[in-house]
Amino acid sequence: MKNKTLMLVPFIIFAVLCVFLLKGLFGNPKEIETGRLGQTMPAFNLPDLMDENKRWTDKDLLGDVYLLNVWGTWCPTCLIELPYLTKLRGQGVKIIGLYYEQNYDPDFGDSFDLAALQREVKGMLSRTGDPYQFNILDLNRTLALDLGVSGAPEHFLVDKNGKIILHHTGDINERVWRAKFAPKLLELK
Amino acid sequence: MKKLFIVLLTIFSVSLFAAENQYQFNSAQEEQLFRELTAELRCPKCQNQNIADSDAVVAKDLRDKVLELVQAGNDKDQVVDYMIDRYGYFVHYKPPVTPLTLLLWILPLGFVVLGFVFILLTQKKQAKKKAQWSEADEQKLAALIAKYKESA
Repeated sequence: MKNKTLMLVPFIIFAVLCVFLLKGLFGNPKEIETGRLGQTMPAFNLPDLMDENKRWTDKDLLGDVYLLNVWGTWCPTCLIELPYLTKLRGQGVKIIGLYYEQNYDPDFGDSFDLAALQREVKGMLSRTGDPYQFNILDLNRTLALDLGVSGAPEHFLVDKNGKIILHHTGDINERVWRAKFAPKLLELK
Repeated sequence: MKKLFIVLLTIFSVSLFAAENQYQFNSAQEEQLFRELTAELRCPKCQNQNIADSDAVVAKDLRDKVLELVQAGNDKDQVVDYMIDRYGYFVHYKPPVTPLTLLLWILPLGFVVLGFVFILLTQKKQAKKKAQWSEADEQKLAALIAKYKESA
């Protein structure tokens, strides 16, 4: 009898190993941990995308739960999610854009044309719908680096006290929103 | 063919040279630290490339940041911690010793020890069985053999 239970041990080890490996197989390798999760928004002072004279700081964002969307007009996945984000805005979600300028690199002598970018953004948002309360222009990607952003689109759910609750890499759609964001948002309210 | 090869090689070596010279260092020590760090930090955008090898925008940003931090007099651990603060442990190729990563070291060792113990135990059991062979067993066996021979 004792021997029979002992015989089960290798089988149990095998089963546990299978579960562990299968989890790895079906996991999302893009789902990387973020250093900033659970911490407050890093300090920043950046201009508004549409109004050069307006500047935003981390203090301005306190007091409301909001979704920070890192995006750019050059990013095809961002284009795809814009209509869904616009729908979310209609449902009362506060969405703030962090414009992630990809191609500008002063080391290579690139010049930056703000007026052209503003036209491009306006054109794109008039076609897809505009989900943003406002857009922050992160020309040198400094805030993006402090947030641990690796590309666009990425999303941060931030609570009233500026604490980062969620970091999502990739687009937001109905499925992602229901599974990941909606429960967290309910918790916050 | 050979000429073409030489031309191509020249072009590529020139562009490599250009990339190498993109960064200005104040000392050889600084350059050494920069090379070590960019080889050890993983690009968060691309799967399994270090930031020295990657062309991703974020890898370039991280390289610039590493240079800036190194030139500001930060040591290796400080730069690595700076990156881990933002990008998590994923950004560093050398995993830290945490209870979870310790398991990866201990588990295989544990299996070896367990297997050894198992072998020892079964051998002991077998030795015990042999020792239990008695005179009565011997007679029983002889009787069985005799019976088999008769029937054959």
